[in-house]
Amino acid sequence: MFLTRSEYDRGVNTFSPEGRLFQVEYAIEAIKLGSTAIGICTSEGVVLAVEKRITSTLMEPNTIEKIVEIDKHIGCAVSGLMADSRTMIDRARIECQNHWFTYNERMTVESCAQAVSNLAIQFGDSDDDGSAMSRPFGVAILFAGIDEKGPQLYHMDPSGTFVQFDAKAIGSGSEGAQQSLQEMYHRSMTLKEATTASLTILKQVMEEKLNSSNVEVMTMTPGEFFHMFSKEQVEEALNLVVPMEKSQGDLPAAAASKATANA
Amino acid sequence: MAMMNDSRPHYPDYSTAGAVQHSFNPYADNGGSVVAIAGDDFAVIGADTRLSTGFAIYTRNQKKLFKLTDKTILGCAGCWCDTLTLTRILNARMQMYEQEHNKTMSTTACSQMLSTMLYYKRFFPYYISNVLVGLDTEGKGCVYSYDPIGHCERSTYRAGGSAGALLQPLLDNQVGFKNMQGDAFEKVTKERAIAILKDVFISAAERDIYTGDSIVINLITKDGITEETFPLRKD
Amino acid sequence: MSILSYNGGAMVAMKGDQCVAIATDKRFGIQAQTISLDFKKVFDMGPHLFVGLPGLATDTQTVMEKLRFRKNLYELKENRKMSPKVFSSMVSNMLYEKRFGPFFVEPIIAGLEPKTFEPYVCNMDLIGCPNEPEDFVVGGTASAQLYGMCEALWVPKLKPDELFETISQALINAFDRDAISGWGATVYIIEKDKVTVRELKTRMD
Repeated sequence: MFLTRSEYDRGVNTFSPEGRLFQVEYAIEAIKLGSTAIGICTSEGVVLAVEKRITSTLMEPNTIEKIVEIDKHIGCAVSGLMADSRTMIDRARIECQNHWFTYNERMTVESCAQAVSNLAIQFGDSDDDGSAMSRPFGVAILFAGIDEKGPQLYHMDPSGTFVQFDAKAIGSGSEGAQQSLQEMYHRSMTLKEATTASLTILKQVMEEKLNSSNVEVMTMTPGEFFHMFSKEQVEEALNLVVPMEKSQGDLPAAAASKATANA
Repeated sequence: MAMMNDSRPHYPDYSTAGAVQHSFNPYADNGGSVVAIAGDDFAVIGADTRLSTGFAIYTRNQKKLFKLTDKTILGCAGCWCDTLTLTRILNARMQMYEQEHNKTMSTTACSQMLSTMLYYKRFFPYYISNVLVGLDTEGKGCVYSYDPIGHCERSTYRAGGSAGALLQPLLDNQVGFKNMQGDAFEKVTKERAIAILKDVFISAAERDIYTGDSIVINLITKDGITEETFPLRKD
Repeated sequence: MSILSYNGGAMVAMKGDQCVAIATDKRFGIQAQTISLDFKKVFDMGPHLFVGLPGLATDTQTVMEKLRFRKNLYELKENRKMSPKVFSSMVSNMLYEKRFGPFFVEPIIAGLEPKTFEPYVCNMDLIGCPNEPEDFVVGGTASAQLYGMCEALWVPKLKPDELFETISQALINAFDRDAISGWGATVYIIEKDKVTVRELKTRMD
């Protein structure tokens, strides 16, 4: 890819002769540096689990917020440039509230993703609507939400493309994690199984040792909607994750049968 | 009398008209009445077809009911030009919603949208009595009524427009069973609702000069919308 | 706001079969503030003659006194009772005397004609323009509501008990949709040999 690098990777709205927008592609590369986040959609609800990179012991882990509430019924996990993600989350929240204000109903997850996508592609030249953004957002987002179609998971990348998924991983460990998701996911998964699976996979792909302060877990269920796990609930969930040395082989089976092995 | 104390000389040949205040009233009252009744699994709405201004009749055959979806109908009475504008914008908004969200707007969503649309013109309002009827997401009949600046209320029956004051107490009595004794109040059926609707319009046409000619009645059920017309006195 | 709706009030009179009824609310208020719940605005002017004076409360009382005075004088001079039609003419004339500085009342007259006992109802505007219809008359701040109710409920040849039910339902449902009338109601059913006065319990808000 970098061999074809030329003058065309400067302007955000200039196609290369091969028909590529390099700045967008680079932004997609940028999100591969972000912390890993995993989302799994089950019939009972959606679970999001993300890694928090604690780069210093002097850091206050609570202040890193990678899973946020958009509305009662929609939550987001973000990976990439956190500063950029703030802008997108703000937009998502505003769009959801506007929808509620105008229609007195909850915005669908798809419409919410669409609204954020509209923002994501507003890089380029300035126009009548004001000055444009200088570059694409360096953010990947997982939307977990519940609407009339039930629990849903959407993924969006810096190009503004959004696709619905049963299970999706983003960030630096996403390639390995996606592979594991492919193997572990099945349609009849319970939410609890999905939570354990997401943490198990996170554990596999993370460089640091998984503990209750470097991971965030959120569930989105029809009963409770947005629910962020407390430290105690995270610890409880981590107890179901089989230790690495014992988990060589069939992961889900081991996780189910040796639930308290690492207590 | 004030002139008596004015000692300045007055020269008629040199008098000017002075400042003359002109004014323009942007609103017209074109009359019309709307009555709606909702039941457990249906909603019925009727509006007269007279379009008038003062003592003159523009037409005896103007429909004032607007189909928004297969289960939502809006009835409008008041300033007709505002009705035309509002309903055109409404239709555009319905289409935009359908395309943006890949679904048809529910009656409750319509009701909220109409309220916000009216409120957005808080200081130059659409001068319309709106009555919105339909089936909600559970299939239950519902009636929403509005003031011109977007106050919205859900109820089971409503009379609006020029004969609203005449008809609302009648509906209270005949549909809401207000001030009736005993407890054997049957729920209003489709047939009864339409019969009451016709009766109240006959009464309105007797006393309200802005209501008459005929009525258009729309009945909404889960099977769709049916329409019928009924003549009223034409004087 | 018109001075006619300063105190509030609703009133209706209806013809029946050999009977006539007049009904009124009992509120007295100053604009939105309710002052009392037993304000009298229907007065008997003879055994088969009643007059109601909805409008400005002070004029209700003044006009009632002036009418009573003139009616008494008539009866003393003429040595006979005043018929409803004559009474109406008198009211109309009295109001028109004040054409350019009127009393703010819109009277309603209900009664039975002497001898024939034909029902009679009449109402007029504040300067005395009379209206003598075949069915019913309404007045006060709830007149639009009353027109709607009466137009639907009234039918010819109502018996006294039916007339009572009809006029009561018409009045109560009408003034329940008017913020400045209600708070109790009184109904007078006038028949050849008796006048029945009934107090109605209504919602008090």
